[in-house]
Amino acid sequence: MIEVANLSVTKGDTRLLSNVNLKVSQGELVGILGPNGAGKSTLINVIAGFERFDGALSLWGQRQAWRRPRSTRLRIGYIPQTFEVDPAFPISAVEAVLTGAVGRVGLLRRAGVSEKQDAMRLLEMMRIGHLARRPLGQLSGGERQKVFLARAIIQKPDILLLDEPTSNLDIAVQREVLNLIDEIHLAHSITMLMVTHDFNLLPASMERAVLLKRGRLVFDGEIRQALSGENLSKLFDYPLATFDQDGRRFVSYA
Amino acid sequence: MLESFSDVIACSPIRRAVVACILSGASCSLLSVFVVLMRMPLIGVSMSHAAFAGAVIGMVLGFNPFLSGLALCLLVAAALGPLSDRTDLDPENALGIVFSFLMGVAFLGMGILTRTKASALNLMWGSLLTLSQTDVLILATVTAALLLFVATMFKEIGSVLFNRRLAASSGVPEKGIYYFLLFLTGAVVSSNLATVGGLLIFALLVQPGATALQLTYDLRLFFVISVLAGVGACLSGLAVSYVFDLPSGASVVLMSTIFFAAAFVFSPKRRKSKLNVKDWKDA
Repeated sequence: MIEVANLSVTKGDTRLLSNVNLKVSQGELVGILGPNGAGKSTLINVIAGFERFDGALSLWGQRQAWRRPRSTRLRIGYIPQTFEVDPAFPISAVEAVLTGAVGRVGLLRRAGVSEKQDAMRLLEMMRIGHLARRPLGQLSGGERQKVFLARAIIQKPDILLLDEPTSNLDIAVQREVLNLIDEIHLAHSITMLMVTHDFNLLPASMERAVLLKRGRLVFDGEIRQALSGENLSKLFDYPLATFDQDGRRFVSYA
Repeated sequence: MLESFSDVIACSPIRRAVVACILSGASCSLLSVFVVLMRMPLIGVSMSHAAFAGAVIGMVLGFNPFLSGLALCLLVAAALGPLSDRTDLDPENALGIVFSFLMGVAFLGMGILTRTKASALNLMWGSLLTLSQTDVLILATVTAALLLFVATMFKEIGSVLFNRRLAASSGVPEKGIYYFLLFLTGAVVSSNLATVGGLLIFALLVQPGATALQLTYDLRLFFVISVLAGVGACLSGLAVSYVFDLPSGASVVLMSTIFFAAAFVFSPKRRKSKLNVKDWKDA
């Protein structure tokens, strides 16, 4: 479904990604893990069509340039890190969700009743239905992130790219957002790529991870193998250890 | 319909000024929604100076000032779009360079002009009472194009205003919309050179939108309030200018500032504690 071959991204004199090779199958949830500056966000920016690149990228068996036609962009959802919205900005939570359906509805047509019902249903699913009419800028970071999740889902994408979706959120909301990502993955069988540098905050249904270090892919495999003390110590050039609790693997200082 | 519109604006300078006021207020205030919500006031400044510089160049070379102003605006719009999308160049710095360059060109042109300096100065602050029929027809055409753009692309515009990157990711032609918006900015600014002028127009590109920002959370209403504030400022400014024999462009800008100050002082959004939270839940 997603196939990346010898992918490189260069900005000025800096090589952000270097000869990355990766294959992701339909319905997988793959973690893209690594320290700051490893090229994680650059990789999903390339797949999203935000970044120029060298090498080859194929989606659904078709070779892609960095600029994509609307039909391709519609099939790729994107969730950014939560960002601040001006509290005075004229958009409510439900209107923000509906912006995700704008491309699908098409030019010169209005969003219909079904899109509005979908938006409300998704906000209910995110457990923030009661905030639907609240101005987006007046929601907390966690509530806004749930709006962005709903916004991406209403697009009905085949691929969902998540760029550090839990950063800047408090610890309880982080777990809530991860559980929602699990729910979405299991309910919709969407292929997901999730960038994070926090190894203790991974969705339970994430079974595979790739590790990036200074723009190079250094590991691709099963999540528990990826999260070994040896792998992570090499990745961060710092002694790290892992331990298992309640069926989950956690990382700590060695 | 065009004939009857021509009859109205052909009638007298005052009537023509009133029609121009409405068109000028509507076009600038529609644009100001974008300028304020996309936080791009420097783009407005650069475009207004491009129009001014282009018009002065036109005067020096003996062309129609509107056409040369429009041409330079479109040239700047074509450069600004890709320039502000480049990640290796700070957009604010790029705009600062474009802005100062255009100021230099405009004042160089003013220096070269040996005659008709007064008409060049008119392009700085405009003159509603000396408009020609052609000035008003051009303004009407540009305003109609802008209205049509907002009416037909409203949902795409809302998506782009909210976040350009998210809009692009969900299949909205955000680059096309953004670049067309820059093109329309050029057209609006250059067609308003004769009404409020290349320097004072900046106030009308920011203040009506900033006024609406104080008053509503609804984007449709935001456009309506912005247009009412812009047209209101233009009409009341014209009246003040006529009654007290003051320059019309400056009067319009001062009235626009008074509108903004009133909205700021009485803003329900600023007095958040007094907002009816129940309305949000029940709406």
